[in-house]
Amino acid sequence: MKKLLLLTLMFVFTVSLIGCSSGNNKTANSEKTPAASNGNSAKKNEEKVKLSLWHNFTGNDLRATMMRDQIDKFQKDHPNIELDIQAIPPDGYKTRLKTVAAANEMPDVFMMWPGAMTKEFHDGGLIQPINALLDSKPEWRDGYLPGSFDSFTIDGNIYSATLGLTPTSILFYNKAILNQYNLEVPKTWDELLNAVKVIKEGGLTPIALGNKAAWLAQSSIISSLADRVTGTEWFLKAAAQDGAKFTDPEFVEALTYLQDLWKAGAFQEGFNSIDNTQMEVMFAQGQAAMMINGGWALSNLAANATPEQLKDMGATVLPSIPGGKGNPNSLSGALGSAFGLSSKVEGNRLQAAYDLIYALSGPEVQKMTLDSSNLVSYKAELDESKVSSIFSEVYKLVNSVERTPVYDGVMTSAGSDAVNNGLQELLMGGDPQKIAQKIQDAQATSLQ
Amino acid sequence: MTAKARIRGVIIVGLLPALFIFCFFVIVPIIWSAWYGFYDWKGIGAMKFIGFGNYAEIIQDPVFATSLRNNLIVVAASVFGQVPIALALALVLRQSTLYQRIIRSVVFLPMVLSSVVIGIIWGYIYHPQIGILNSLLDWIGLGTWKQAWLSNPNISMYMLAIPIIWNFIGPYMIMYIAALQNIPSEIEDASAIDGAKPMRMLFSIRLPMIWDTIKVTVVLCISGSLKTFDLIYVMTGGGPAHSTELLASYMYNNTFSIYRFGYGSAISTSIIIISMVLIAGSQLLMRRNTR
Amino acid sequence: MQTPVELKNALPEHRPAPKIKLSRGILNVLLSIYGFVTLYPLVWLFLSAFKSNPEFYEFPFGLPKEWHLENFADAWNVARMGVSFKNSFIVTIAALILTLVFGAMAAFVLSRFKFRGKAAAMGLFLLGMLIPIHSTLVPLFIMMKKIHLLDTYGALIFPYTAFELSLAIFVTIAYMSSIPKEMEEAALIDGTGYWGFFFRVMLPLSAPALATVGILAFLRFWNDFAFALVFISKPALQTLPLSLSMFATGYMTDYRLTFAALSLAVIPTIVVYLLFQEQVMKGMVAGAVKG
Repeated sequence: MKKLLLLTLMFVFTVSLIGCSSGNNKTANSEKTPAASNGNSAKKNEEKVKLSLWHNFTGNDLRATMMRDQIDKFQKDHPNIELDIQAIPPDGYKTRLKTVAAANEMPDVFMMWPGAMTKEFHDGGLIQPINALLDSKPEWRDGYLPGSFDSFTIDGNIYSATLGLTPTSILFYNKAILNQYNLEVPKTWDELLNAVKVIKEGGLTPIALGNKAAWLAQSSIISSLADRVTGTEWFLKAAAQDGAKFTDPEFVEALTYLQDLWKAGAFQEGFNSIDNTQMEVMFAQGQAAMMINGGWALSNLAANATPEQLKDMGATVLPSIPGGKGNPNSLSGALGSAFGLSSKVEGNRLQAAYDLIYALSGPEVQKMTLDSSNLVSYKAELDESKVSSIFSEVYKLVNSVERTPVYDGVMTSAGSDAVNNGLQELLMGGDPQKIAQKIQDAQATSLQ
Repeated sequence: MTAKARIRGVIIVGLLPALFIFCFFVIVPIIWSAWYGFYDWKGIGAMKFIGFGNYAEIIQDPVFATSLRNNLIVVAASVFGQVPIALALALVLRQSTLYQRIIRSVVFLPMVLSSVVIGIIWGYIYHPQIGILNSLLDWIGLGTWKQAWLSNPNISMYMLAIPIIWNFIGPYMIMYIAALQNIPSEIEDASAIDGAKPMRMLFSIRLPMIWDTIKVTVVLCISGSLKTFDLIYVMTGGGPAHSTELLASYMYNNTFSIYRFGYGSAISTSIIIISMVLIAGSQLLMRRNTR
Repeated sequence: MQTPVELKNALPEHRPAPKIKLSRGILNVLLSIYGFVTLYPLVWLFLSAFKSNPEFYEFPFGLPKEWHLENFADAWNVARMGVSFKNSFIVTIAALILTLVFGAMAAFVLSRFKFRGKAAAMGLFLLGMLIPIHSTLVPLFIMMKKIHLLDTYGALIFPYTAFELSLAIFVTIAYMSSIPKEMEEAALIDGTGYWGFFFRVMLPLSAPALATVGILAFLRFWNDFAFALVFISKPALQTLPLSLSMFATGYMTDYRLTFAALSLAVIPTIVVYLLFQEQVMKGMVAGAVKG
């Protein structure tokens, strides 16, 4: 009986609370400033605030452990906030998130990705902007590098503050091997083709490639290579299907460049059935002179390669293309995942969620992320004693060149999927014109 | 009359629990998913009813056609590979000597291993550079046959069928052994005394006696093959360029990767329909065979 | 225990011509090769679990240079395997019992009685084997949310049971229908009644089929990732497959910890398989005795 009574009371209490907070919300919707809720913080302390948090930092690597420590620390520092934390394996994270999205049961604060996912969640009304939070911490907001909010921004509203930066098309090279063949680091397309020829004749694989996961050639090669040929402006127009199409001659030309590289024998046999880790190992072990890969390779190499192997590695941007419209001194790069905020969070839970997001994405965490061999899109000084020489080299490279968009960060999911599969086909000898047509169709259809 | 009522009682009590839990957790979701198949829906936000629009698209979708073709290869490999091999193994491994027990357990082993492990192992077997198969070909002087086994679209699907067959032989073997044990020993003894040759015994006694089990395993083979997902996902991810795509992986990709939930659901319903057609066909064929 | 087995098996081989002995020898050699090849992945898994990450890539096939025992402790702690082992046991065993009891009851009714709606019931149960489970994730999620089943053991136990019932029923029916009708009549004359007949005669006689179903069900429940991922959110209720996939980031897999965790998780499945397999073979003893 007592329990029943208690339950009924709690129910009435909760209902009235929900009623109140939603009432409040309507008036405060446009100005959900933290200051406003700070005003009644005395009241807030009395009741526990519950928040659910989903993340995918489940592993044993430096970054994942660091993030879990930060979450623990937040809980200790905020006894009035009760976190329902779920660490979901990265392999299943998106499936899980999309299932709850379909059922409209989003968690309060959760890891999400820029570009397509942010757009779909926004269109479905599942997330809310965090402009108020950013404006309340100007020193944090201004610490981000230019363009850090781009693919999290829709109609001028910012939906998330990124935790990392992923340059995707770094040309890694093995200094020892290039020396052995008396080769310079290739700066132009012709130099690259020449290096490929010389190394291949020497019996070594010129460029290691692992394109089993299909996105690799898209993210690492074509994003930068096509930008060299077409320029960034063309790509943004084509992705928006506004004044440019993927069937335009410049894009077909870019595809042809990649196919020519393949025809010249740049990649090892069977690259479409090898994953990116195997490609990294191949490169680290000196079985290939070069590899075109993203920033993720750095932590993988740190874990899987010996210090001697790491010392031989250098990094640069992809070579320039004769007559290309793009800036040759650029790297394609994508913003990393970040914490999104469910549109259902309001009232004093909103302030708690802001605190949580700040604690997990603020300047300190950015710095610690960098020290754990992961690049960030934030002004943070690198402590070179904590990372490998190749990591510092990439860090300097990224900070010295322009950043261009990654294809799957801008295109729709279906469009990117068509690029991924199209490139696999291209690297089996497919017709660039037809592949361009498929990409164009997929992107156009999915935008409707 | 009372006997009839009693039988009815037994039927109701026996079927009800299974039927209830099954309808609630399997049938309702199937219908629900089929219902999504009539919508243009990203999996988020507004749904638009488009009738048979998704199905019209499926019929013209070249990737769906490739997936179906690949899936039929898997079905054929399972029915004509797994069933006979499992049956042969069951016949030679159904005694309880220590040796037979060990081999029997080992045949089943791939089932207990996760598809990640199986995928990696077979990845190394087929690896274009350091692969066991290529080394073996070199060693026996057939170096010219060396291949990138999984990225050559002409052969990759067949190469993938081998680990699939190998992986799932165990359960069928166990089912056949269980069924063979059920043949009353008098029948076998009698025919042995009559001097029936082993082959004769197999075809006139053993196979007919376990025919029901064989029919069930064929159903399992077909339905299982059309749902194959894990191993392909680990080994090729359906690539290169959809050349090893299967219906289930294509469904998953549409549903959970590229925001085409409605289309994915329609593919899922198509998988059910195709399975039913194939199963009905197989059962019809096997019914004729018994006569 | 063994005597009836050997007696029965001895019969067909009573006339061992030298030719048969020779072919048996060749057969054993072939079986041994097959067995060795099939056993290797498991050995490889265990060996790899002792390696460091760089070593795994450099020498995927060699013995570990140093035996890194700490891999197991690390994997156990980081993936919280203690908790997930417990949960997996609870969920798997509960679902296993439900599957076997409900499945056997339904199979008994469907195999022994003729009644209206029988074909419909069979068709319904067939559907359960055809649907790719990923397409049921969203409907099941929404349903279970509405009845407050999410985030309990029930959220896994009931769907597992429901999806395994089809296979359980079909395999058991195939087996039960080959048990002679006369036994039923005899039992009914004895006055045991239908349920008495079911428990005292049918269940023990069907042990091999039920053991087969049991093995497959155990494996499926123990290894399921999709349902465990979506229907459970409390960390305290997480099952093993989630723990096993915690070391892959999408860009890289920490094989050292993944393989250590996989090795630990595979041990119960091997034990269960060996236990149930004995049950499959015991059916033969029971059969011989009853004969």
